[in-house]
Amino acid sequence: MFRLDADPALLLDSEERRQLRQILRQLLTETCGPEEVRKQTESPRGHDRVLWERLAGEIGVHGLAVPEEYGGAGCTFTELAVALEETGRVLSPVPLLSTVVLAGQALLGSGDRRACARWLPPLASGALTATVAGFLHPAGLTAERGPGGWVLRGEADFVPDGEGADLLLVRARTADGERLFGCEPDGATCDRTPRRVLDATRRQALVRFRGAPAEPVGEPGQASGIAESVVDAGRVALAAEHVGGSAHALDAVLDYASQRTQFGRAIGSFQAVKHRLADLLVEIEGARSASAYASACVSSRAAGVPVAASAAAVACTGAYRLATAEYVQLHGGIGFTWEHPAHLYVRRARGDEALFGTADDHRLRLAGLLGLAAGPTDH
Amino acid sequence: MSGIPDPEEFRAEARRWLSGVAKARPTRRAWGSGDDSVAVFENRTEAQEREHTDRTREWERTRHDQGWGALGWPKEYGGRELPAYYEQLYREEEAAFDVPRRTEIFPVTQQLVAPAIRVWGTEEQKRRWLRPMLRTDELACQLFSETEAGSDLAAVRTRAVRDGAGWVLSGHKIWTSGAGVATWGVTVCRTDPDVPKHAGITVFLVRMDAPGVTVRPIRQMTGGSSFNEVHLDEVFVPDTDRLGPVGEGWRVTLTVLAAERLDSGGLGLDNADRALDLARHLPRPLTGGERQQAAGLYVRALVQRLIGLRVTAALVAGREPGAEASVGKLHATATMRATTDLVQQLLGPRLAADTGEWGTFAWTEHLLGAPGYRIAGGSDEIQRNILAERVLGLPKEPKGAGR
Repeated sequence: MFRLDADPALLLDSEERRQLRQILRQLLTETCGPEEVRKQTESPRGHDRVLWERLAGEIGVHGLAVPEEYGGAGCTFTELAVALEETGRVLSPVPLLSTVVLAGQALLGSGDRRACARWLPPLASGALTATVAGFLHPAGLTAERGPGGWVLRGEADFVPDGEGADLLLVRARTADGERLFGCEPDGATCDRTPRRVLDATRRQALVRFRGAPAEPVGEPGQASGIAESVVDAGRVALAAEHVGGSAHALDAVLDYASQRTQFGRAIGSFQAVKHRLADLLVEIEGARSASAYASACVSSRAAGVPVAASAAAVACTGAYRLATAEYVQLHGGIGFTWEHPAHLYVRRARGDEALFGTADDHRLRLAGLLGLAAGPTDH
Repeated sequence: MSGIPDPEEFRAEARRWLSGVAKARPTRRAWGSGDDSVAVFENRTEAQEREHTDRTREWERTRHDQGWGALGWPKEYGGRELPAYYEQLYREEEAAFDVPRRTEIFPVTQQLVAPAIRVWGTEEQKRRWLRPMLRTDELACQLFSETEAGSDLAAVRTRAVRDGAGWVLSGHKIWTSGAGVATWGVTVCRTDPDVPKHAGITVFLVRMDAPGVTVRPIRQMTGGSSFNEVHLDEVFVPDTDRLGPVGEGWRVTLTVLAAERLDSGGLGLDNADRALDLARHLPRPLTGGERQQAAGLYVRALVQRLIGLRVTAALVAGREPGAEASVGKLHATATMRATTDLVQQLLGPRLAADTGEWGTFAWTEHLLGAPGYRIAGGSDEIQRNILAERVLGLPKEPKGAGR
């Protein structure tokens, strides 16, 4: 029998979430138009530091899902998802996903009070950027105890925002099994090489540790469990971003299809166009539902998080693929130009899939989680 | 709000009640025994349909009389005024018990017609009709479509002409589910042929046993008959059985159609779950592609349930059931097709030739029935028009020569 793992009330915006959405949309409309986003990505840091600090300070986005004892607001992941939907809508290149979601959830998930007390307050205030290494893709990272403490060796590729992050949370092998480490990288012992990327709004780096000093976070043997739940939280965060990006694409196409005339009519009056947009709406509403459910599951620490996260990934990557393809196509030639923002969204959609898994990857994972993979001997 | 139980408490209470009045369904271990029907449209003789309808009615009356029917309705109609999604919570619990599967006439009566009467009926009509319909003492079918008025429903030609204290109806209706067991037919009629087509419509409730009403079953592509054509041959209807004002019938009709879209959001879920069970019990390991296909169906069904919850949760928040419900119906018909595709892949030749094996050839009923719902209740194309024009605000299609 089918069973939902979250309260249906969490599937809709509460009054607080509606207000948060409104404030963010206003701020981001002012600061993150398509031209600003391009400028921000071309800047040395890759994002706008002033906006980053305003998001943290004025609105408190960074601390939404951080407990009050560590300088956060003690809200839930559902509120954080609202913020990510809005930043995803405009493709803001601020490193929220890497800092607040991946690194933030890794610290919280470790249960290491000392590490949390040290790094979460600056993370919540916007003073610290952070990311994770060795979580998303296989990496050859080891840690060993030297005379001056733990040091990291080896390399991790495709590290999101890896070049600029102030703190790296690293999953590394030790003599006692895998363990999580916090490393504030230094050029003397850590090389960070930015990769040329498909999606300039989300940077990636190859990180090479050459005996970089690091501190253990949490206990030995915990790392793979933490990494699993951190990556799931990342998928759920990404799903919210995808809903925002898809909704933007639909809005932009609707505007264009209502204004652009051919054969003496607005192209949006042709059924061939209307029906495609209706189908896109159906996909986006499905994505929105799956995303809201997955956020609610993370918020309530439900047992069904892995299933909900992968289901959201299937629904949201599917919707984003369709939305970005239609974004280009329904703008005709203009949608294929460099100047038009549509390709930035195509880049984001496809780049994210490469980082966090395609819909097909997630279907396979789900089959395993749901008992759809085994042969008859398992029954 | 007070008096609204916590969802978990409500579920537990429902389970307690259900286990007192119904038998639990055999559990998963019993895969391979029991009823293996997955029919989308029932394939029954008239006598069987009557017998099944009577059994279902008995169950619906038990529910109603013991406070588990009409959950969202006010107390005066036997309800508990619970938020709309409590009905869904209840149904999830009920699914674990062996109770009669509701044929279409039941949701049509309880979820489509009764709410329309609540909106458009006079006080007298509400008193006379609502409780008996919610309790299914009376069953109502939809006399809407005609051969020349399908997607363009406002083109109906069935005429209603004033005659003293009532009206005389003549015409031919088609695609009516449950006409053979219904006691009332909600009939969309033209009362004024001289005004633009949407303005000349009035809705009546016609007694199905009235002189002049003839019901003939239509055999559909599944081989069975669950639809009918209904001839109205100078049928007299008292004016007290008119629903809504004269000439306002199009708005009344839209109320019913909106409820129909809303109710369609749950279509195909049972069979999607069943197809996933089939995947789990297949006597061979699934290929990688089959695993992805099965997981894809799981996600579709999950998302469909979530869309349904969001639509009904929005109702609680005080919004009208809007055009958004078309999202649910389009999603549902796509789920049904995805179910067919998965089952086709899993069963191979056993879907096309009956080996007598439990739960195999029975799926032909789903395969052949599923296309019906892409047409019934507003075709997929009409749902897309609704979304494009009423939700997305795109310009209307230029109208043809007809009025």
